[in-house]
Amino acid sequence: MIVCVAVVGHQNNPLYLQSFTEADDALKLHHIVHCSLDVIDERVNNPKRSAPTLNETFLGLLYPTENYKVYGYLTNTKVKFIMVTTDLDVKDADARNFFRKFHAAYVDAVSNPFHVPGKKIASRSFGARVSTIVKSFGSGTTG
Amino acid sequence: MDPLRSYLGRLLLEEITPVVMVLTTPLAEAACRKSGLSFVDMLAPFSLFKKIDVPVRTASEVPYRLQMFKIRMVYASDVRKEDYEVADERIKPVVSEANEKALPDLLSDPPQLEDVLGKPEAELCPLWIKKFNRELMQTLSYSEHETFDHPVACLLVVSSMDKEPISKFVDLFNTNQLPSLLNEGIMDPQILKHYLVLHDQQEGPQDIAVNVLAEMRSTLGLNDCKLLCINSSTEADGSNTDNSWLPYIKDFMQDFASNHIIPYMEQKIRVLNQQVATTRKGFRNQIKNLWWRKRDDVPEAPNGPMYTFTSIESQIRVLGDFAFMLRDYELALSNYKLLATDYKLDKAWKRFAGVQEMSGLCYFMLDQSRKDAEYCMENAFSTYLRIGSSGQRNATRCGLWWAEMLKTRGQYREASSVYFRVSNEEPSLHSAVLLEQAASCYLLSSPPMLRKYGFHLILAGNSYYMSDQKQHAVRVYRNALFVYKQNPWSYINDHVHFNVGRWYGVLGIIDVAIKHLLEVIACSHQSLVTQNMFLNDFFHYVQSMGKKFDVYKLQLPVFNMSSLRVIHEDHRTYASDADVGVSESTWHELEEELIPSSSVVRTNWLDTQPKSSRKYKDSSVCVAGEAVKVSVELKNPLQIPVDVSGISLICQHSTNLDALTSDVSGLTLDGGEDKVNTEPSVSVFETDEENFVVSKLDIILGGGESKRVQLDVTPKVEGILKLVGIWWTLSNSVVGYQYFEFDAQKKNKKGKRGHRRSLNSSLVVIKGLPKLTGSIDRMPTKAFAGDLQLLKLNLRNHSEYAVKGIKMKISNPRFLIPGDSSDIGLKFPHCLKKHTQSEINLVPYKSTKENFKGLLFAFPQDIEIQAGATLSWPIWFHAATPGNVSLYISIYYEMESSSDIKYRTLCMHYNLEVLPSLDISFAISMSSSRLQEYIVRMDVRNKTPSESFVLHQLSCVGSKWAVSALPSCSSISSVETVSANQAVSCFFKIKDFEADSCKEADRGSYRTDMTLYPGSSGDVFDIARSPLADFHFQERYRQGKLVKGPCSLLDFVVISKAAGNSSEPSPDLQLLSHHTCHCSALSQSPVWWIMEGPRTITHDFSKSYCEVSIQLVIHNSAAHPSSVRVVTSDVMPEKSQTVHPHDPSSVQGGWYDVSLENDIKAISSAKGTQHEKQSSKSISPYVWCSLSSAQIELQPDSCARVPLKVCIFAPGTYNFSNYELQWKVHPSEGAQVDESKNGSSGSGQGHPFYVTVLQSV
Repeated sequence: MIVCVAVVGHQNNPLYLQSFTEADDALKLHHIVHCSLDVIDERVNNPKRSAPTLNETFLGLLYPTENYKVYGYLTNTKVKFIMVTTDLDVKDADARNFFRKFHAAYVDAVSNPFHVPGKKIASRSFGARVSTIVKSFGSGTTG
Repeated sequence: MDPLRSYLGRLLLEEITPVVMVLTTPLAEAACRKSGLSFVDMLAPFSLFKKIDVPVRTASEVPYRLQMFKIRMVYASDVRKEDYEVADERIKPVVSEANEKALPDLLSDPPQLEDVLGKPEAELCPLWIKKFNRELMQTLSYSEHETFDHPVACLLVVSSMDKEPISKFVDLFNTNQLPSLLNEGIMDPQILKHYLVLHDQQEGPQDIAVNVLAEMRSTLGLNDCKLLCINSSTEADGSNTDNSWLPYIKDFMQDFASNHIIPYMEQKIRVLNQQVATTRKGFRNQIKNLWWRKRDDVPEAPNGPMYTFTSIESQIRVLGDFAFMLRDYELALSNYKLLATDYKLDKAWKRFAGVQEMSGLCYFMLDQSRKDAEYCMENAFSTYLRIGSSGQRNATRCGLWWAEMLKTRGQYREASSVYFRVSNEEPSLHSAVLLEQAASCYLLSSPPMLRKYGFHLILAGNSYYMSDQKQHAVRVYRNALFVYKQNPWSYINDHVHFNVGRWYGVLGIIDVAIKHLLEVIACSHQSLVTQNMFLNDFFHYVQSMGKKFDVYKLQLPVFNMSSLRVIHEDHRTYASDADVGVSESTWHELEEELIPSSSVVRTNWLDTQPKSSRKYKDSSVCVAGEAVKVSVELKNPLQIPVDVSGISLICQHSTNLDALTSDVSGLTLDGGEDKVNTEPSVSVFETDEENFVVSKLDIILGGGESKRVQLDVTPKVEGILKLVGIWWTLSNSVVGYQYFEFDAQKKNKKGKRGHRRSLNSSLVVIKGLPKLTGSIDRMPTKAFAGDLQLLKLNLRNHSEYAVKGIKMKISNPRFLIPGDSSDIGLKFPHCLKKHTQSEINLVPYKSTKENFKGLLFAFPQDIEIQAGATLSWPIWFHAATPGNVSLYISIYYEMESSSDIKYRTLCMHYNLEVLPSLDISFAISMSSSRLQEYIVRMDVRNKTPSESFVLHQLSCVGSKWAVSALPSCSSISSVETVSANQAVSCFFKIKDFEADSCKEADRGSYRTDMTLYPGSSGDVFDIARSPLADFHFQERYRQGKLVKGPCSLLDFVVISKAAGNSSEPSPDLQLLSHHTCHCSALSQSPVWWIMEGPRTITHDFSKSYCEVSIQLVIHNSAAHPSSVRVVTSDVMPEKSQTVHPHDPSSVQGGWYDVSLENDIKAISSAKGTQHEKQSSKSISPYVWCSLSSAQIELQPDSCARVPLKVCIFAPGTYNFSNYELQWKVHPSEGAQVDESKNGSSGSGQGHPFYVTVLQSV
């Protein structure tokens, strides 16, 4: 199950952060997402391993915490998508697929002429779309 | 890096050293106590040998030299495994001690990124943390599965005062009192024993001790007995006597270590090595071992089977540990490796892990294979974790070593993750310290991972807080602050600030607590509960401060400084505050013609105050006694309502003009910057009641609400008034204040709008001046288009001086026109009715128009408004076009008395919404049956949803034109009322009287004005009088811009009345006038012609054919002579009615959605089809005779007749339209040829002309 998804801007400012748990753990998830930025930074700044994956947007598993796994995705405009999941065996293909849909939703949301670039995404339809994607991710792995 | 020099290397050299168990008699101990030390403490400083320089030879034949060596002296009673709880209690003071030291740090500012990155490693990991780590490791001393804590030697100490010292020695080593480890068979009790006689020289001569020593030597052995003399004298004999016994101890220890312990260990190593070699080394032994172990079914236990010191495994371990202590790491490693396989087979996991741990350390010390070292440590760590609670602390120690190992190699990230893993296994206090170390590792890694640093600090802080170490908690949280500062990770930032603030509060450092809480109270993004919590805590601490608290730039509520507007009235005054919002250019444009040119004013002003004029130039002017208004927007970012009271301006007033004006600009800027930096208390600015009065405002802002408030300051005395800032009280406990920031950049930006409007904090207060206030009575905010009203403009003079020379300018004369002074008493709308003498009055209205030329209206010169008096002036209002309209009025007046300012203007502004009412359009087409006549169709459409209008009057403007009803529909009473959403069309004829030179015909039915309402034939409004004429003039001007048609014929004015609900029109009924200007005919030709002749002819066709004489009357209405050619043709042209595809019946039914053009065509088509029916019956031909073409020249405005003849051969009805007119206008020399468009040459088909020819009987 995905517990949290986040969009982080190119200056590492949070643009969107949504948790999908009932528990009041927003702060924890904020911390997890914030910390995973360090890992993203590290991956991006150490290109030695990335020769075959030069144009790869999917960053893979960022780091496993005690209970969560964090996956990352980096767009060409240095916007980061971060997904925190409790599933312990996530297939890379599933994560990739999820991020692709998420990216599409993000692109649609920021294409809104009323969206101010660099500001938080306030679009309700984006939120609804993301929750659908998140739900479909859960069903996709179990079914 | 040499591992021996690294921190871990030194740690291992100091920690993993031979243990010497000390057994003392009470008397010996007492002798030491005299010096305030225990025996062990006394020896401790001498147990570390920096340069012992002893040759060592272990298993190999090659000796090497030991340099640093340490032995650990431990009381036998301490050689036991401690309870974890007891051990942990011992660690706690280490942490809380550091707590005390941290306190002064907490009062300083939290560290910034640069500070932290620049710190050396030692500072990030302070001494107390190292001490803590060491203490944590030592809780594991004397465990069963490791032997390096097992005593290598035993030191038995007897005092020279003891009776029968020899028996005492025996007693001391009595097994009952020995540590359980020795008794349980885990340790080898056969260890090196060393006997010592302790002699205090204060207690007797040394001879006693020497005797005892001799006795000992004879019984216990020559080499193993020693005498140690001490002196417990406390008298101040001088340092020499005091310390004279210290070298004895040193010598003793040196001898003990180098001559006894090390040789003993060497020997033991050699023996054990031999033993191991025979039993375990070699191929045969390995096979045997393997086979033997396999067969042995060992039950699975965490510690594996019990190993006694005699078992070969324990002996290998001892061998390994001894080798490790003597730094023969190769030997140690080979033994550990050997042992690891054994323990693994035995499933003795704890021991296995212990051995792995040691081999990891061996690898490190050998600086050989990093990978192997890491593998061993990881293996050990995870094995310890796997065996559960008993291995936890071991795992911690292993982790600490491992992390140190990684740190030594610069692998900080890996180290920190090890710390993090370790912290999970420990109680909160320990985990806090470990997490802090993990955090510092992230900072040291390259590049520094700041976010993880912050996160781990936060985790550490939480753990500290849970274990009641608030100072530490605050310290680490503070350290993390900068990580979250730059990025808007507000949730985390709020959490950190809130907790830091709260904990500071708990620690009693309330001012810092409030400082941190201030950061979070304006958190708009948090939930209501959180906001409440933040705010409650904040107020709690503010109240516990016990006094009102001044906060610079308090964020609750948020004052939007960019919305700040300073309204001060100098030359320009405003009727209402709303007028201030109007853009500067609007007023400026209005005032342009109104006010005297500025240079003139400046000169006058210079004359009066020549000295200070230059200084005034940049500052604004306000008038004493008149309020300076500052409006600013404030917003409550929270969802909780907040109570804001006493919002007022902070001002400074100086009566000393010269002194202050000189540094007005300087003081503002410097002072402003100073204030921002030093944040002086608001108490500096006490309100100066004598010089100015400030308003105070109390409001309650609801959740998320924003309000615009207006604050006033009224200067009372001349001088300089400086607006410094704004202050307010939040919930009666916190005073917030904020200074206006008038930076130079802003000034320049605003400067474009003229210096007078620039946001300047300093205002020059000048002497009181007269001031007019103005308003328009009953000015509508909503009106229907066309609405005509008489309003009253009231100007009131509040001051003590009279004003004169009043002038007015209105932005939109289409809507407002000032009336005449005589209009004031008139009764509306009767004053507009046409009187018989209306023609006489025409002249004065012209003059009114002159007055009003250029939108400027000057009141009569003799009008003065005395002090306290009110002037009323009529003003006409006409809602010209639908839409939202802003009306600006600027009134100029001059001072009666001489003062600094010669004139002032009053700016008024009204917003008006004009709703569409009647949409009136006219379609004019030339009449084909009469000359100089037009058929007019008026389409009236009511666009309102509910209102009905009564059409009152239709007027043609000017005397040239007259209107008349069509004879066929002279009764048009059916269209008197146009209901909501209805449309009505009616037809009229109009005639041009001036141009018609042919005949000055009867004007009988033609009038300029035609009443449409049957009962009101007498009540005709005079459209040639003011204000209708004036408004028409404006309309004509405006609409003329829009019209692009070739020529305009005439203007119509339709006057209607709102019907209201009752059928009877109410007395003050609304009058609407609609002006439609520049109407033109659809098609206009300069030549107008009609056929004249008999319509019915009786003829006897039996005799001959019939000859009909007809005349074509041609009129030239063009301004120039023209030539016309008439061409007749006998060939019947194809009827071209197909041009009009509309079925007449459908046209009749269509009231709506029929475009004007189609309607017009329908008129002609209706006629056309009628003829078609008839002509199709009488298709019999007729023949033109007499001439086939005629050419005539026509002077302008003249008629000519062309006689024509037609031959008819059978009775019937004939349409003699089979001719064509071709004309050409000859423009006179020099005349503009702009009329070429509207037909300087052209042609036209003949109009239908029906003649019925009957057979005579």
